[in-house]
Amino acid sequence: MPTVGPRASAPTDRSPEMHDTDTTVTSNGDLAVDIAGLTRVEGEGSLRLKVKDGVVEQARLEIFEAPRYFERLVVGRTPDEVIDIVARICGICPVAYQMTAVHAFEHGLGIEIDPAVRALRRLLYCGEWIESHALHVYLLHLPDFLGYASALELARDERVTVEAGLSLKKAGNRIVELIGGRAIHPVSVQVGGFSRSFRRSEIAVLREPLTAALEVALQTVELVAGLDTPRFERAGRLVALRHPSEYPMNEGRIVSSDGLDLASTDWRHEFSEQQVGWSNALQSRDHAGRPYLLGPMARITLSGEHLHPTAASALARTGLAGEIAVNPYRSIVARAVELVDATAEALDLIEAYEPPADPGRPWTPGPASAAWATEAPRGLIFHAYELDDRGLVAHAQIVPPTSQNQAAIEADLAAFAPSVLHLPREAATLRIEQLIRSYDPCISCATHFLDLSVEAVR
Amino acid sequence: MTSQRADAPRADAETASRPSPLLVDVLICGSPDRGDDGAAPAAARILGAELPNGVRLRIVGQLDIDDLLDIPTGAAVVVVDAATGLRPGRVVSLPLDRLSVSGQPVRPRSSHALAFPEVVGLAELIRGHPIRGRIVAVGAVDFALGGALSERVGAAIPALVEAVRVAIEQLRTDSRARAQG
Repeated sequence: MPTVGPRASAPTDRSPEMHDTDTTVTSNGDLAVDIAGLTRVEGEGSLRLKVKDGVVEQARLEIFEAPRYFERLVVGRTPDEVIDIVARICGICPVAYQMTAVHAFEHGLGIEIDPAVRALRRLLYCGEWIESHALHVYLLHLPDFLGYASALELARDERVTVEAGLSLKKAGNRIVELIGGRAIHPVSVQVGGFSRSFRRSEIAVLREPLTAALEVALQTVELVAGLDTPRFERAGRLVALRHPSEYPMNEGRIVSSDGLDLASTDWRHEFSEQQVGWSNALQSRDHAGRPYLLGPMARITLSGEHLHPTAASALARTGLAGEIAVNPYRSIVARAVELVDATAEALDLIEAYEPPADPGRPWTPGPASAAWATEAPRGLIFHAYELDDRGLVAHAQIVPPTSQNQAAIEADLAAFAPSVLHLPREAATLRIEQLIRSYDPCISCATHFLDLSVEAVR
Repeated sequence: MTSQRADAPRADAETASRPSPLLVDVLICGSPDRGDDGAAPAAARILGAELPNGVRLRIVGQLDIDDLLDIPTGAAVVVVDAATGLRPGRVVSLPLDRLSVSGQPVRPRSSHALAFPEVVGLAELIRGHPIRGRIVAVGAVDFALGGALSERVGAAIPALVEAVRVAIEQLRTDSRARAQG
């Protein structure tokens, strides 16, 4: 992959095609950004930001997802039906929803799965991480850093670079398609295992594309580590799963940058969801009302020593581990390192794969309290279910990473906004949008479509 | 789901053993369990039983760049989808390049990560040439999970099917003419 650099005119010339930008920056330090929402099933969002006399008056991220809808939809359903239904919540990370649900049910019902099934599930999750991170790094976030309005514009000048990203995404797709049964909304995961087993030869076909993908992933780390990045240091709490011996994915304890340590089933002991007046989505905070940040930055900071050795070496070469912990703009580096981690781990899993002796363990439906947390590509995801005497869902709570990150994003926007007041209007807007895109692919793709409108501050 | 109608047997042994060249790829976007997003799959159930020769129908759900890269060289594409920005139930048929212009009000719902023009544009860049084809879209209003087609979109399915048939025939004729030089 050739080295790419920003456009000569970046970043201020990109707005005319991307938005009818109506951000207002006045000479006396006022800033008003009003990014209206776009219709989108998984991640409708908008931003309202007001700075007056250099002081942030309002920083509101409005996300119109409907988690309650799904929580109601699964009531009266069997656990296996729930696993298929929750996969529909997101087109980018259906595996995360499936994995969290299936682990919750198996834990609640006391079902032990075959170790080879565990390995297959981790491989499936690696596929989703690769797919999601490649999409975000190359098609959603990289254009910001290089001064392009979109991946399409970037591809016109840097076709090889975008093709590299697409090849990575495709490698992830192949894993999900093979093991999950289809590339989007996979169908093979079920309580007790999988709906079918896989021969070694079936899994082995993934080796070649993933070997090539690992090389691209390593080049990706070099590419994004060299990007010119705005300076910003956030001070908030980081939260992620932590496993005693693995980089966190399917399981682990919930830990934080300030010493939290609790079982993944006990998310509600520390956190809760709250309704806010400006958003249909619930916001999560800890019981003291503090926001917290999930995702690649948190995982690398809290579990960096468990990265695959290949990924750990790549991270070390960047020299950016410390900055990743505090600067959201460096999340693109964190994602690239996790691309290496997921790809290298997938290759290890393929190499060691033995078909499960018991791909789908039988189990008996019954009453249970079920809860679990896993690591979706964009952060910790928590599910809790109550099963009635017939084994049907009586109550459900689904807490996606997007809603957990909302409050932290708003806090970070409020902290960052004053630093862009001196910039031209379009550059200020770009920096703010770029910051939003640093956190979450669902919000990121929504913001790529958002229209900006002026609201003058008086 | 993929279905393709093979050519009828011919007297010529050589041509009889050769598979029909694909002239038109029909990509069905959307999800039947999301209200009006099921419009294209509903049309596919009708179209699938009567595909003309050289036409393949693929259920793709969310349109991905790879779906467009999989179109054989020389073939055209018809993308069928529900769209916002149109009066509910209104059916439109547009050349793909009309959607590549920023500001086009017809927005298909099925591509979550990238805008439809970006998906098409990236695929064209990678293929190295424009993709010949049309999008046939129906204006949609309700995308709720578990919902059925809204009344207006349900009533528009015959018109959607007819518009797809017309698009297929136009492109099939064009593909044949190009193949014959």
